[in-house]
Amino acid sequence: MTTANNDNRSAAAAAGDALARPAEPGVPAPGTAGRVPRGALAGWRPDALDIGIVVVVLAVIVAGALTTRFFSLANARAILASSAWVGITAIGATVVMIAGSAVSLAVSQTATVAAMIFFETQQLGLLLAIVLTLLAGVAITALQGAVIGYWAANPIVLTIAAGFAIDGVAIWISGGTTVYPKVTAFNGLNATPLGLPLAVYVLLGLTVGAEWFLRRTTAGRQMYLLGENPAAARAAGLPVARVTVSAWAFFGACIALTGIFLAAFNTIANSSVGGTLSLDAIAAVLVGGTAIGGGKGSALRTLGGAVLISAISDLLLLRGFSTGIQLLVKGILVLLVVIAVHVRSARGRR
Amino acid sequence: MSEAPAAAVSIERLTRTFGGVPAVKEVSFTVGAGEIHGLCGHNGAGKSTVVKMLSGQLTPDSGRIVIDGQAVQLGSRQAAQRLGIALVDQELSVVPALTVLDNLLLGDVRAPLVNRRRAATARCRQVLRDMGLDRLHPQQPLSDLSIGERQLVEIARALSQNARLVILDEPTATLSDVETEHVFAAIRRVAAQGCSVIFVSHRLSEVLQLCDTVTVLRDGRKIATTPSRELTVADLIVAMLGEAPHRLTAARSPDPRADHELRVEHLRVPGRLADFSLTAQAGRVYALAGQLGSGASDVLRALAGLHPQATGTVRLRDHAVPFRSPAGAARAGVAFVSNDRKSEGLFLDKPIAANLIATRLPSLARAGMLSSRRARQAASSLAELAGIPDRRLGEPAAALSGGNQQKVFVSRCLGRDDVYALLLDEPTRGVDIGGRAAVHRLLRAAADAGLIVLFSSTELEELLELGDVIITMREARVVAQYDGGVDGAVLMRDMTHGTHAA
Amino acid sequence: MIRRLPYRPEILIPVVALGVMVVAFLCTPLFNGHALSSFDLFNTFQGLTQLGLLTLGLGLTMVAGEFDLSVVGTYALGGMIAVRTGQSLPFLGVLAAVAAGAAIGAVQGGLIARLRISSLVVTLATYIALLGATSAMSGGLDVTYTNSAATLWLDRPVAVIFSVPSLITLVAFAIAAVIFGGTRLGREIRAVGGDRRASRVAGVRVDRTLVGLFTASGTLAGLGGALFSYSYATANPNPGFQPLILATVGCLVGGVSLAGGRGLPAGLLAGALSVALLRQIDAVTAIPDYFTELLYAALLGIIVAIDAPGLRRGLDRLRAHALTTRLRDRHQ
Repeated sequence: MTTANNDNRSAAAAAGDALARPAEPGVPAPGTAGRVPRGALAGWRPDALDIGIVVVVLAVIVAGALTTRFFSLANARAILASSAWVGITAIGATVVMIAGSAVSLAVSQTATVAAMIFFETQQLGLLLAIVLTLLAGVAITALQGAVIGYWAANPIVLTIAAGFAIDGVAIWISGGTTVYPKVTAFNGLNATPLGLPLAVYVLLGLTVGAEWFLRRTTAGRQMYLLGENPAAARAAGLPVARVTVSAWAFFGACIALTGIFLAAFNTIANSSVGGTLSLDAIAAVLVGGTAIGGGKGSALRTLGGAVLISAISDLLLLRGFSTGIQLLVKGILVLLVVIAVHVRSARGRR
Repeated sequence: MSEAPAAAVSIERLTRTFGGVPAVKEVSFTVGAGEIHGLCGHNGAGKSTVVKMLSGQLTPDSGRIVIDGQAVQLGSRQAAQRLGIALVDQELSVVPALTVLDNLLLGDVRAPLVNRRRAATARCRQVLRDMGLDRLHPQQPLSDLSIGERQLVEIARALSQNARLVILDEPTATLSDVETEHVFAAIRRVAAQGCSVIFVSHRLSEVLQLCDTVTVLRDGRKIATTPSRELTVADLIVAMLGEAPHRLTAARSPDPRADHELRVEHLRVPGRLADFSLTAQAGRVYALAGQLGSGASDVLRALAGLHPQATGTVRLRDHAVPFRSPAGAARAGVAFVSNDRKSEGLFLDKPIAANLIATRLPSLARAGMLSSRRARQAASSLAELAGIPDRRLGEPAAALSGGNQQKVFVSRCLGRDDVYALLLDEPTRGVDIGGRAAVHRLLRAAADAGLIVLFSSTELEELLELGDVIITMREARVVAQYDGGVDGAVLMRDMTHGTHAA
Repeated sequence: MIRRLPYRPEILIPVVALGVMVVAFLCTPLFNGHALSSFDLFNTFQGLTQLGLLTLGLGLTMVAGEFDLSVVGTYALGGMIAVRTGQSLPFLGVLAAVAAGAAIGAVQGGLIARLRISSLVVTLATYIALLGATSAMSGGLDVTYTNSAATLWLDRPVAVIFSVPSLITLVAFAIAAVIFGGTRLGREIRAVGGDRRASRVAGVRVDRTLVGLFTASGTLAGLGGALFSYSYATANPNPGFQPLILATVGCLVGGVSLAGGRGLPAGLLAGALSVALLRQIDAVTAIPDYFTELLYAALLGIIVAIDAPGLRRGLDRLRAHALTTRLRDRHQ
């Protein structure tokens, strides 16, 4: 069973299907290279996940072809633009989920606070404001990571608590009012070079950076190990706490970036800026096939997940379906991917 | 009684294979009503597999289980419970979050749907008194109890269910002598009421003391079923080992070049390890011989940083080892191979190559960036050491056999210049013969390369083959230390009933 | 090695939390100058209705070591279904909502038990889908419940401080308490959450228990949604994430551990009541919002610390270190 599954993997990789490729950051083993060429698709028995993703992508393409304006440059831009904010946070969430800390429920609050800090520091200059906001996001989130890493605290309970604390402190300091920027230098962030919002470039850059980090650095590789088997990582003497903190620190930077872009887009910052970011980010990560239990996943696939969700929402919108239907489809998509990923990894284990 | 007046439970030609390797081959025996039947065998002899099939946790490939003349199918634990088969699992299987009373009633098919608290409490007190646990309150949460007390509660649960067959798999491993006496009295009481009992234990003198009949298994086959009054401990040891036990002959003398040592002083783990001191020299293999609960594995876990409550001093190469955290111990040069390679060892879904280099990533990186060339080279050379073909390096570790997995696990700790002491808990548990020999070669080579190797085991051959120094342990204490000149029978005696009861 | 806890967290945490809230509640006249009236209590119990059934459903799954995020989705859908189907026959609407909730719960429970898949992700996906379905049913708008007779009947005070919905909530807690404390099922639920492997070995039907629990939590959430929308005469298609967070706080303050195996319905009631009291205090005094939020954060922070194994390991380490030093000093 396992060997057969493994055949699928190399064949799938050869087929160049980025979404179907397993998220194993394997050491580029000499053996694997030797195995690929035997018959491009010979022995490729696709499993539920492969079939599912092919079916979904085909369905989107077919439905898109039947929908006017879906396959247009403008619409492609719209899809990318709408996936950018959630996507940036989702990249950070991917890293944390891979490292085994499951999810954070304090994302919306952190993004809101980041947006407020960004506007409050505008008069110091745009660059300094961005740097300070990033630092604040890193500090807030890495602190949660430290409690999780050093105390082995439950991430869900802890981030709910952190969400209350962040929100409370933010309202306390700001007095609960909307923050208006005093300078409008931030408008540069709403620029659309080559017709795409700046956030899209940031998302792409971040994805590539995170993917490289996860696969090519010591800390990244340790994140996969820690996420897959925390007890083994601990027993092996890996720096569990340090790795956890660095994953959360990166997540914090991503959330802060999202906060900055949200602030710049809305030109104000109030308590509703964060919106449903927490859940949207988790949905994108899960649709990308990252396992909630940790140890598997990739930033590239999360990007795919975020774009796929956007594309489907966009398609449904163009065909006149309500936001309710869009949400329903998104939920079902998440459910199906989660089941497929689970069935696949459970089968691989036997 | 060995003539089995009424054949209450019998198994007929039971066979079970795991991944092509037979664990139990055509084993048959009969346990009469009221009979206490001992099941003995060395590790890997197939005892656990027989127990699992009889208790509904595994289905046999062939053969049948007959209860009161009727062949039965045991699809699950519930099905077995309904047929009156109670079990004390090898692993402690009580729920700490529940009270003593709740644990006693858990899974009992006769427990009423609606609790009858008064009756249940009265019965619970009675059961506890029979076990010598008068001091416990039925409503006390089990998490307040010591491991021994929890084990007693689990035994009490099985014995109080009015079962037709009670299977006790290593029930006394974590119990003191007094507690064991209470358990034996309770077992005899249920047997006197006509219940059949299967008693699995490594403590051979206990088996002879308690059981009417003893069946010995070796390599998955039944060797003999004999009335226990015709047996001695020595007979049993011979039957279990098959040949005259090995003898530790050529113990290596310490290498004069060995320049570093591991010095452990007064290592204690509350409730698990009373007092342990050892000075181990580089280039030698130290073996800790002890059954489950003897403290042997706790010595290793404490040294590896997995017992934060441990006290004492540990020095390696004249530096203090911060031995209360795994990361600290690893930094000081201690590498640990757990006895549970699935949950505490390998990263099973990750490729073999990634597993081989998992603990040495920093040494393969420059400024935090991994050099894929060096990673590949390291993985390749370690794979060669472990005897795993290069072309398999991309497969997940889960695809390997148990033996090969263990080789990967051990190799992971080798060839590193920042490791000075290698600790292994049961290095060949669940490993086939070939893998065993390979792991032993790896350990010997590691010692020759100047490492301090310290391992724990329950297997006599392994202890004698590999250990330069053997330290026997029982009930959280060291029994004796041997620098050669010891044979299997002596070790078995030390491990099973201490030096005093020869 | 056994840590003898001098207390049981599933009792201590809710008792302390409820005690603090009751004292704070009794002190409200000091802040706003108005004497407490029975109406304050009535409102508190109305607040309990809103959160209580959610807390109970979520808490039951948490005791078994699972986490049912979908309760808020079921709650919203239940409210919408009840309003849609129960305009003339309110009881029919409640029945439909409860049936839908039970069906959703059973399907999720089946998936989680059969595939051994993480309940967090399954119920998260269901939560999103259910909010979508609710929104699609209503076109994304609030739907008004026009049967004002039913609304008035539900909101009428019973025995001064209760109402029909709050009594139903209390009855649900009472039933859960009886099942937990007095039946084999209750024992098995806690066993499944405490140690799943040991439960299987002991002969507990783990899968069946899980399906039952998720069905129960879906049923309770559907019922809660129906009662709430009748009482407020509207069904809101998107209640957001906040009710779930508050219900989770109710569970945690009620002494339930996310790791499973710990918790009692009485504790859950105390937890839900604490949250309801805090909201009532919030409503009648001028205490700033952020104060409440920081209070929640502090409460949860304490709970995190109590349940963190790493913190306990750290304390063990410190204690062992101190002991070693002391022994060494004595030897010298």
